[in-house]
Amino acid sequence: MTRADWLLIVVVAACLPLLYARFWLPAGPASWLELQAGDAPAQVITLSPDRQLDITGPLGESRIEISGGKARFLSSPCRSKVCIHTGWLEHTGEVAACLPNRISIQLLGRHPRYDAMNF
Amino acid sequence: MLRGIVLALLVTCLLSGCDRPHDTVFRDRFYALGTLIDLSLYGANPEQQAQASEALVLAFNAMHTDWHAWEAGSLAQTNTQLAEGRPFRPGADILPLLQSANRLSLQSGGLFNPTIGKLVDLWGFHADEISALTPPDPAAIQALLARAPSAADVVLENGQLVSRNPTVQYDLGAFAKGYAIDRGIELLQSLGIAHAIINAGGDLRAIGRHGDRPWRIGIRHPRQAGVLASVELSEDESIFTSGDYERYFEASGRRYHHIIDPRTGYPAGQTVSVTVMHREAATADAAATALFVAGPDDWTALARRMGIRYVMLIDRDGVVHMNPAMQSRVRFETGTPTIRLSKPLT
Repeated sequence: MTRADWLLIVVVAACLPLLYARFWLPAGPASWLELQAGDAPAQVITLSPDRQLDITGPLGESRIEISGGKARFLSSPCRSKVCIHTGWLEHTGEVAACLPNRISIQLLGRHPRYDAMNF
Repeated sequence: MLRGIVLALLVTCLLSGCDRPHDTVFRDRFYALGTLIDLSLYGANPEQQAQASEALVLAFNAMHTDWHAWEAGSLAQTNTQLAEGRPFRPGADILPLLQSANRLSLQSGGLFNPTIGKLVDLWGFHADEISALTPPDPAAIQALLARAPSAADVVLENGQLVSRNPTVQYDLGAFAKGYAIDRGIELLQSLGIAHAIINAGGDLRAIGRHGDRPWRIGIRHPRQAGVLASVELSEDESIFTSGDYERYFEASGRRYHHIIDPRTGYPAGQTVSVTVMHREAATADAAATALFVAGPDDWTALARRMGIRYVMLIDRDGVVHMNPAMQSRVRFETGTPTIRLSKPLT
């Protein structure tokens, strides 16, 4: 083993945690929220500061809560409340929708862990 | 030697910074078939992107009108004619859909039964907003079950359809979405698009790749927020999940969901969700429903019968039932659940 071989081993070993973080850790906090109401073009808004937004759909107002880089449906005038039961969206790519009120939200970020969600 | 290594490392580090820009995936969304349709395209030029969006919106809206289970359209008209019991020539838009649904229904031994529309309606699931507060009268359920509507009751002779059972009423809720996705993918391919996902309310078909890697799909946890597992799809593959959390109402502390067991007339009770991967979305859609109804004891025989190679079923105790081929492709994201592995399906 030469000095260069040792150096290579040390450098590769030092890079492993970085590679792990880049490729295997869950996607980092999302940066933006894409919000779509009806067939209007989607709006992209930032995930800070924490706030609540009232979005109007055909059934009435849905309230979206943004807090700590996460987002969720807080209330919605639909009967089934599937949108609220979806809970907090935390990772890039996650989506929640109130179909009866035609409002959907999705977290966007630089490195989405998933290209699409199946459910 | 040392200088060579340092140079190689430097070049590697610099290249790793040259990440592809996020906007290489074009995305569009619209509402159709009672759900949110999400289109993703990789590597398509702006002209293809615009053409694909416009063509898909038009196609899905037409399918929505034609195939709706309870609004006026081709399917409603077909149901009226079937109930009359006289032969009639079905619309060219609806016939291949019904034939495909019937074939899969027979293959599933009737566990995917698209002709129980009256039963689904009785449960109150023929509405965008579920309004039922209690389950239906058991006598009404039994009355419909006694008439045993089935795909075998509908016969095509000389281009004409006739139903031998007046209780037959098509509801393609467990099938139309998959069939529509298949037509949508064909449409994209005809526009020269090679890398795409059409996701209809969480069920999807993907073609091609996301650049130099496969498309990555997260499977949402059926009982809590977040992702249960992830898979990478091959170059043309669908992934469909049927779950008891999609459409349901609760009465007296019990959940009544929309996947009705055609044998009992009640929501299938042993399963929480079934995920199926298969090339054609229509087959994956019908199979996910049929396997949900089959439940944790009988799903393997049915999967073999329907030619399905990848299945993950979660039972009501949270146990994950899978075949070995599915296990080799699934990566659990939030701890490993209790897994019951079946024998290979093929």
